Amino acid sequence: MVSDVKKEQVEENRMQKVITKYDLFKMAFRSFFLQSSFNYERMQAGGWLYSILPALERVSKSKKELSEKMQRHLDFFNSHTFISTIILGMIAAMEEKKQDGNSIRAVKVAMMGPFGGIGDALIWLTLLPICAGIGVSLAMEGNVAGPIIFLLSFNTVHFLIRFGGIYFGYRSGINAMQKLKSGTKDIAHAATIVGITVVGALIASYVSIQTPLKATAGEAEIKIQEDLLDQIMPNLLPFGFTLLLYMLLRKGFSPIKLIGIIVLLGLVGKYFGFL
Amino acid sequence: MLIKAILISIWAGIAGIDQFNFQTHLHRPIVTGVVVGIILGDMETGLITGATLELIWMGLVSIGGAQPPNVVIGGIIGTAFAILLDQDPKVAVSVAVPFAVAVQGAITLLFTVYSPIMHKFDQLAVAGNVRKIKWLSLSQLPVLFLFNFIVAFLPIYLGVDSARTALESLPSWILDGLSVAGGMMPAVGFAMLLHIMLKQQYIPFLLIGFVLVTYFELSLIGIAIIAIAIAMYDYFRKSTERKETTTNGI
Repeated sequence: MVSDVKKEQVEENRMQKVITKYDLFKMAFRSFFLQSSFNYERMQAGGWLYSILPALERVSKSKKELSEKMQRHLDFFNSHTFISTIILGMIAAMEEKKQDGNSIRAVKVAMMGPFGGIGDALIWLTLLPICAGIGVSLAMEGNVAGPIIFLLSFNTVHFLIRFGGIYFGYRSGINAMQKLKSGTKDIAHAATIVGITVVGALIASYVSIQTPLKATAGEAEIKIQEDLLDQIMPNLLPFGFTLLLYMLLRKGFSPIKLIGIIVLLGLVGKYFGFL
Repeated sequence: MLIKAILISIWAGIAGIDQFNFQTHLHRPIVTGVVVGIILGDMETGLITGATLELIWMGLVSIGGAQPPNVVIGGIIGTAFAILLDQDPKVAVSVAVPFAVAVQGAITLLFTVYSPIMHKFDQLAVAGNVRKIKWLSLSQLPVLFLFNFIVAFLPIYLGVDSARTALESLPSWILDGLSVAGGMMPAVGFAMLLHIMLKQQYIPFLLIGFVLVTYFELSLIGIAIIAIAIAMYDYFRKSTERKETTTNGI
């Protein structure tokens, strides 16, 4: 009996469709401000929360629930600004279908890196040079149409991707969840595998620490970075440093304290020349 | 001249916002050049200088959060000087480059000192203060406007030489040190993610992702595909196992 009632409730939640087309439009518009609080600690995290807020407000039943969801959506986020609306749509669909918070977090992390790569290749390194190239060739001849054609062609694709992406992402998310009805725990596990792998990759590509220190042994000069650390493992310092911060967090250090330490370390390190 | 300098600076402020928000790319030299040209009354030179700068800086786009020399200020100051000093567009580039590099440093600095704002976000989320979160999310817009306004105004109004002298007199270790700190800062974000997501059974995947970039320089897309392959294998192996156990039970 009890399980029947529960099942019914789950079914009801699945059937619910509360996020409106206007909500999605609002989210796509807000994605223009994905970087309006950009910083090196969590990059687009603030803009992400701002963009997903219309969906969160719609699906939360109480102020407490909204507050919990907002806290979950402040993790590190960085992706391509245009196609991030696909991720926004998909995550909104997951929130609407009451997926478990850990799965949502894992899917978000798993998607941001590869989508960022696709966006960089497709937009910054393909669309932009093509449109700019056409504009430049006209402008060089003194034709004012150059900049105008550049703006028109670039932004037609830009707006199509941003506003089309959110509906595409939302629909794909809903469809995917209907297919993957069983075993949300297994899905969370699978998503976490991808998410953690991407985090490992991001640590290696985003965190940068190098030392210009040199040691002299008799005649020979040893560059600590190239001759020693890189020989053990490239990116040893970024990896070690991230793990150190992880340990400190587990010990109860607040993130704000860690930031203070990093700024101090950067200044002292540069002043004395070991960073 | 004062009014023209102010108009150019307002345009620089708008373009500075567009570089990171909206991103319609009206901040690229090909567009800013012609606008500066119109303000200074020489559209033709502005158009051609802008196009020349665009051609040279075509590859300068921000990829994965790293900052290239700043095309907004570089383009605007370069074009303004080409017109004001009646110089060849190619000379404009050499005038613009030191400013583009300095602004690149300053933007890195801005993103570093902006990091503590995330903790204000955390507090507001706990308090459930939606209204303040909205304001905080947009707080960088006026900062970017003002910053670009000032950076464009000073060299155009005071002249390029005195601006460059002022630039060189800054103590380099402070800016460099903050930029080093900026490079380390993402580690905090990742450590926080690990703090939430990492369980013992996931450590192998953290290592796989790290090694694939470090030793194989694989793209994130390639790495994600490998991770998805592993996750799918794991997922289907589990569901087969489950079927087998239920069959045995019957």
